[in-house]
Amino acid sequence: METKLIDHLFRHHSGKMVAVLTRYFGLSNLEIIEDAVQDTFLKASILWRKEQPENPEAWLTKVAKNRILDIFRKLKSEQKHLAEIEKGIAAITIKELFLESEIEDAQLRMIFTACHPKLDSKDQITFALKTIAGFSIKEIASALLMKEETIKKRLLRARNTIKKTNLAFKIPQGKELSQRIERVLNVIYLIFNEGFHSNKKEILIRKELCGEAIRLCKILLKNKHTQISSSYALFALMCFHSARLDSKINTENQLLDLKNQDRNKWSFPLIQLGNTMMHKAVESDEFSTYHYEAAIVAEHIKAPNFEQTNWDKILHWYKRLHELQPSAFHLLTMAVVCIQNKKYVKANYYFKQIHPQDLAQRAYLFYGAKADYFAKINKKKEALKYIDLALDKVTNNLEKEFLKKRKDRFLKNL
Amino acid sequence: MKQFMMIFIGADYTDLGLSPEEMQHRMGKWFSWGQKMEAAGILRGGEALTPQIRRIAGKERTVTDLTSAEVKEIVGGYYTVEAKDFSAVQEIAKDFPDYDLGGTVEIREIMVFDH
Repeated sequence: METKLIDHLFRHHSGKMVAVLTRYFGLSNLEIIEDAVQDTFLKASILWRKEQPENPEAWLTKVAKNRILDIFRKLKSEQKHLAEIEKGIAAITIKELFLESEIEDAQLRMIFTACHPKLDSKDQITFALKTIAGFSIKEIASALLMKEETIKKRLLRARNTIKKTNLAFKIPQGKELSQRIERVLNVIYLIFNEGFHSNKKEILIRKELCGEAIRLCKILLKNKHTQISSSYALFALMCFHSARLDSKINTENQLLDLKNQDRNKWSFPLIQLGNTMMHKAVESDEFSTYHYEAAIVAEHIKAPNFEQTNWDKILHWYKRLHELQPSAFHLLTMAVVCIQNKKYVKANYYFKQIHPQDLAQRAYLFYGAKADYFAKINKKKEALKYIDLALDKVTNNLEKEFLKKRKDRFLKNL
Repeated sequence: MKQFMMIFIGADYTDLGLSPEEMQHRMGKWFSWGQKMEAAGILRGGEALTPQIRRIAGKERTVTDLTSAEVKEIVGGYYTVEAKDFSAVQEIAKDFPDYDLGGTVEIREIMVFDH
């Protein structure tokens, strides 16, 4: 028998409760708040085994607030300045605290806190996943492929920085806002990419990271100060990518490239939503990298099949993207696009500009692409040399299998 | 029919660092299990216990207050069910949700006195 709770209620509600309670009790009490919220869910998860309340969200809120009041009463005897905070608490009714608009405002403040430039950029994602998205340390470690100890350290460092620098829990305004929002969008996109490009075999945790990034971006789109064109473009981009998430892996858990993906499996509603968002994004003339990236994915989606992909247009968008944000990855992609378009001289022109070490752990992609290039121009020896280099550098098993298959193909056909 | 107690022993949830998502997931499993026993009409009672422990021991009646973190295993709760024999309860206990967390179910028969 199913419970009547909606999926992820606890997780999403945990982020909401932490944000709203921080709005009132201040960032300096974040740890107490997080513990109180954790306690609340623990209590709920045991009490609700037998019977679930009519309104689970209201129940959770009430218990969390009472739990915090308890803690503050205990603390009050030790620290006198808490008396003032308690006066403030008494004045807040639960209803006020959890108005939908208040929740969104508080969550937005928390997003800006997580992405504050005073925090180390590595700590930002960890902190966001813990405090806004309600992931546990173990879940973050597993999603980011890192050790739990590392995650713990990062969280501690983020919390300490917040305390030491006395960070204000607010949404920046004016000029500061436009700079800060860029970082926010970047953190959201990084979370999304962790999910979308993750090496994790378990598709579930990856989907959850993508879903979480989309949810955070949605919060930005609801506020008039943060619903700017690049927020819309990022949202569109994530919709287009997500539409293909299920088709990226086949039933044997093998990675499929665009060519072999079942296009019927792409999610049409997500593509439609992406299109709507893209229309909003281009209402202003200022284009961000998200605009170009979304335009590129949209071009792939538009093609009825791989063969009919408009490679010229894709190359055009990549050039613009590379102008705005020069990167070895863009050069590599442009080379790959040229190979698809049978423009091998041009492909080599891009290859020559790439230093594989700039691609860090993804250098194998460069070697793989070069192997393809040599295969296309019928240089078997070089093709095999480069595919072996790629196999040597790759760490992810799914990708390794993928490269091995390609090598077999070379051996047979060249 | 006889009455049995299923006693749940293991680490306390507080000490496992479960995420809200995991807690909701586990709660759903416990809920389904309870509903299943309820529907079969075999559930007679049960409670969950908080992790605070006050232990009184020895001739001197020495009192110790403990938290779940200080003891490895703690009784977290119990269910009383009606069943034919141990094997039948063993079957019911298959659905206990916390084996993967290192949890244990101990089945004990409730003693009945003949008058």
